[in-house]
Amino acid sequence: MNLLRKPAVREFLRIIIAVSAALLLGFFITLLVSKQPLEAYRAFLLGPLSRFNRFGDWIEESITLTLVGLAVALVFKSKQFSLGAEGQILLGALVSGSIALFVPLPGYLRIPLALLAAMGVGFVWGYLPGYLKAHLNANEIVSTLMLNTIALKLYDYFLIFHIKPPNAGYNASETFTKDGILPSFVPPLPFLADLRARFMSQTNITIMLYLAILAFLVAYFLMYRTPFGYELRMIGANIKFARYGGINVKRTIILAFAVSGVFAGLAGAHLAMGIHTKLIQNISLGIGFEGIVVALMARNNPLFVPLSALAYGYLRAGADIMERSSDVSREMVLVIQALIILLVTAEQVLPVIQQRVAARREAQPAASLAEGGQ
Amino acid sequence: MWELVLKGIFSALFVASVLRISTPLILPALGGLISELSGATNIALEGIMLVAAFTGVVISAYTQNVWLGVIAGILSGVLVAAFLAYFHLYLGADLFLSGIAINIMATGGTIFLLYVLTGDKGSSSTLASKAVPVVNIPVVKDIPVVGTILSGHNIFTYLAFILTWLVSVYLYRTPQGVHLRAVGENPEAAASLGLNVRRIRLGALLLSGVLASLGGLNLSMAYLTLFQREMTAGRGFIALAAVFLGGRTPWGTLIAAILFGFFDALSNQLGSLAIPSQWVQMIPYAATVLALVVYSVRQRAQAIERARRFQEKHLAETHAAGD
Repeated sequence: MNLLRKPAVREFLRIIIAVSAALLLGFFITLLVSKQPLEAYRAFLLGPLSRFNRFGDWIEESITLTLVGLAVALVFKSKQFSLGAEGQILLGALVSGSIALFVPLPGYLRIPLALLAAMGVGFVWGYLPGYLKAHLNANEIVSTLMLNTIALKLYDYFLIFHIKPPNAGYNASETFTKDGILPSFVPPLPFLADLRARFMSQTNITIMLYLAILAFLVAYFLMYRTPFGYELRMIGANIKFARYGGINVKRTIILAFAVSGVFAGLAGAHLAMGIHTKLIQNISLGIGFEGIVVALMARNNPLFVPLSALAYGYLRAGADIMERSSDVSREMVLVIQALIILLVTAEQVLPVIQQRVAARREAQPAASLAEGGQ
Repeated sequence: MWELVLKGIFSALFVASVLRISTPLILPALGGLISELSGATNIALEGIMLVAAFTGVVISAYTQNVWLGVIAGILSGVLVAAFLAYFHLYLGADLFLSGIAINIMATGGTIFLLYVLTGDKGSSSTLASKAVPVVNIPVVKDIPVVGTILSGHNIFTYLAFILTWLVSVYLYRTPQGVHLRAVGENPEAAASLGLNVRRIRLGALLLSGVLASLGGLNLSMAYLTLFQREMTAGRGFIALAAVFLGGRTPWGTLIAAILFGFFDALSNQLGSLAIPSQWVQMIPYAATVLALVVYSVRQRAQAIERARRFQEKHLAETHAAGD
């Protein structure tokens, strides 16, 4: 019982309960619509582990989700509801993809340059709404949504009018050459050659795996071991108190937006140079919003973001497999996802249930006492 | 080339098309305005529109009655708004995050059900759904230019303008409207005067649900006569932007929504002239960011002005007392 009083344990329990409840509801939906509900749900829950390439899909997805989740967690921790990740991802993909395509440098220079540029453009695209919020108090939800659309139009314009080969039938760039594609995460060492060949033939797991782990460590360090992180958390906890305490609120808010953009930009580079290896239309497909779920399940703590990204990536990969191998469409996972958000954010769900339970407990002894008295 | 564009813009058909394109922005924007003024930014307009659009099509197809479809669509949208309000107002969920959840659920849920009902994930083209009637205004329709502009729209377009007027009357001329704005302006002060903040916000969110539903129905039962996956295509968010671009007033919101419609129609016109439509489509979004800036700068200037006046008055009074 004492364990339950610890906030961390309660948080963890709440998230577990929320995810289980959402999955259970997903199962009921499957029961209603599917002719083979058990098979469908098994594909959903176990699919990502069933084949090597599916396992790869899951890990690739989780890498992107980790980066986006870190971006969202960082800015949400300061209670700034920036939705700008989507636009930052798009521009990150555009800039890194353009460098991968057109800058005539050898791979060991071109790839780092592309990654740095993606991070830089993410920084700028985060700095903008951050500045507007901090100095002009412009609603960040609206400004970031607008900047997302502007980024999308910029992306489409450059892709269609400048990057796409003139004779191409659909709106996509040429596939990047080897110098523009992130190398496999297995180093090219002689005794690993077999493993490397196997991973490269079936998956796109690249060195971004290591970069995502590095990003995770950096984000954690930033938030919990630096003055910037302290100020950011302070602003999130109580902005008036933070201001009163002498924190440079404006500067910290701007930086929170911009640093968040760096991570999102990197996620965009992963989409372009790791997963798709070319620029396509709708490359991000709302993954900025998925990052919100990831950050939320991790309670905006970078420490738990990779775990939450793996869990969420698993759901998504599972949904894809379920769709391919049964009569249930993958959109069910969106419903599950929405339920997780609602149940995790509803602060009062657990207290309300506890109150009911407590009320029943109080009522019961009284009733049994009355019975005993007779 | 520019002549062609100008000719295109100054034609009656173009103006009529702007009105047609603006309608599914005006209606949800009015809903967004009401909830925004009550202090509850409704980010779920998009999801509410989708659900209403879907329900309207399905019910009208199965009952073969257009009005039952419309009513069911509105009810479904209000239900979604009530769901959102319950989680936010009674279970303490963050309004913004639960709004995002609603949008995700609406996107997924409508595609999921569409697939269950029709076996198609793209559109409801196999369902024989109904369309709301087009209104031809008796005398006006025969006047050359004016007739083309004003007559022959579907009822939602006329409703959008009538509702703008009604919303402005409601917000500024009725006690309920004043209470609603008071709650949005300063909830603590409103509560101390005995207003039930929670109930007023609930009402505002439900009303915004009705208006957003009308916008969704306009898409699936008038603009097109079928449901397509993700057919709202961000209109709920544009509507929210129109609220801010319009300075959080009904008529301003109307004009802002029409402005978005204008640029959308314009980019269609320019598309045929090999001018990158992306640049044109970007304009209203950039304008909204600019409007946000102007709005906040103006607000700050007003606050400073108020403080200055207060100080002057105060000084004058103490001076008078000193004499």
